Amino acid sequence: MPLEFLQSLSEMYIVGELTVLSLLIGGVIMAGGIILAKIAKLLFHKYYAPSLPKDTAQNISKLIYFGILIISFLGFTSSQGIDLSGIMVAGGIFAVVIGFATQSVVSNLISGLFLMVEKPAKHGDTIELPDMGISGTLLDVGTFSSKIRRFDGTITRIPNDKFFTSNIRSLTLSTVRRADVMVGISYESDIEHAISVMRHDIFENMPFVLQIPEPEFRIEELGDSSVNIHVYVWHPRDDWSQVQPVLLTIIKKSLDKSGIEIPYPQRVIWTGKD
Amino acid sequence: MSNDSENIFSNYGIYDLSDNLELFLPNTSIRFQKISDNAFSYFRENSEGKIIEKIIPVKSDDIKIELAPIRPLNHPARRTNYVFLKFDKEIYLSENSAASIFVHCPIEIGIFLIHNSNHESLDCITCNPLTSRFGLYGTPDTGTLCKYAKVLLASDYDDSISYVNGVMQIVIENTLSFGQTISKVIFPITDNSLYYDKSKTILDGIKITMKKRAVVNIADVKTTSVETDWVLSPTWEDGTTNTTLEMGLE
Repeated sequence: MPLEFLQSLSEMYIVGELTVLSLLIGGVIMAGGIILAKIAKLLFHKYYAPSLPKDTAQNISKLIYFGILIISFLGFTSSQGIDLSGIMVAGGIFAVVIGFATQSVVSNLISGLFLMVEKPAKHGDTIELPDMGISGTLLDVGTFSSKIRRFDGTITRIPNDKFFTSNIRSLTLSTVRRADVMVGISYESDIEHAISVMRHDIFENMPFVLQIPEPEFRIEELGDSSVNIHVYVWHPRDDWSQVQPVLLTIIKKSLDKSGIEIPYPQRVIWTGKD
Repeated sequence: MSNDSENIFSNYGIYDLSDNLELFLPNTSIRFQKISDNAFSYFRENSEGKIIEKIIPVKSDDIKIELAPIRPLNHPARRTNYVFLKFDKEIYLSENSAASIFVHCPIEIGIFLIHNSNHESLDCITCNPLTSRFGLYGTPDTGTLCKYAKVLLASDYDDSISYVNGVMQIVIENTLSFGQTISKVIFPITDNSLYYDKSKTILDGIKITMKKRAVVNIADVKTTSVETDWVLSPTWEDGTTNTTLEMGLE
């Protein structure tokens, strides 16, 4: 009975030599290919990807997925008796037309390939794109676009050609990073004493601040109301959140504790004869 | 295991965990409490006022705790395997000479759960957080991040400060044709074992050979095992398992 059913399908022509049965077989091949690709990708992610660098794992995963899809597609076309050489010739002609029409798409594709080869930033790196005012964690360099998770949790998609041609500031490539804040003390305060108490409290309360290179204190300017001191400290690259957001708090507490005034903006006005 | 009679603090060593157990360290208190037949609670308050509480489910009654010194790499966070020891006094070695010195090296203290002769890392503490600081050897882009400490020279192996540092022997040999001043040493401490006796700690030493390789003068650093009958400290492994969010575990 099933054989007879298949026999009847093979005799039902759709277009030219294309029968319902061959289309069904092609569909099964294509569906099987998609399922196989998804399973292979899933197994790879589950068992092998955790031991590989994230960007390498993503690239291999894409290679496996699209490789199986392409093989399935070739199986599909051969099952339908489609001669691809004809398509190739036609493709050559259309490529010029399509090339003009899809310049940006091709540009993104090529840029994506260059990004994968050059690797200016890896998956998981914290980067900043100053031209676009974007900073965050690089999630993925895809075929046409890249994704960055910004510090507020939102995800920004950036076309690869813009990503490739923009300045990329990597915040995680160096072993250490520097944090800095500006603090003003009154003109009556002893500068050396202020620096000494700040240095002491930074050492005692901030375990992630490096002792070599030592915290640096530069008198930046003699301001309108205060002597402004720029404080520079180094920290391990992954511990920015333990240093930069709390540095000013520690310095403020330190100066308050030592009775060193942080002056409000003030102006001395001399009036007439008085 | 009991407390040292001359010391109000608990000695390093193995303690039975059949019932409640309290351990005392400088600026730190540790408490185990039996909360059911199959579970203990662990409480620790450290020198910075930070409180850690854990529940420890157990399968058998044969549970022990080992308090032991560990390498100074885990506090405030594990970032490197290297240690940067800056000597309080510089050491000058003339040409073709050698010297042997003892230095204080900071340590941390590990708490291990022992069952079926397996040691599992439960917690690590530092009794003096001011000795847990970082330093960079080299430039910011290519340098090596290290745990940094300014260290005093020690007189011998018994000169360590209990719970805070251990003593390490450093042998320095200068095979160069000119004198050298040594003010610091940077090395991976992961090859150095620690040994304890009551509240004192010693570490495997290092041998530094200053020599010429082609046109470059280098310092070759090798670990040297110390021969002692003190107890070998277990190796600390981070007990926190990182898993994916699969099945809701993190």
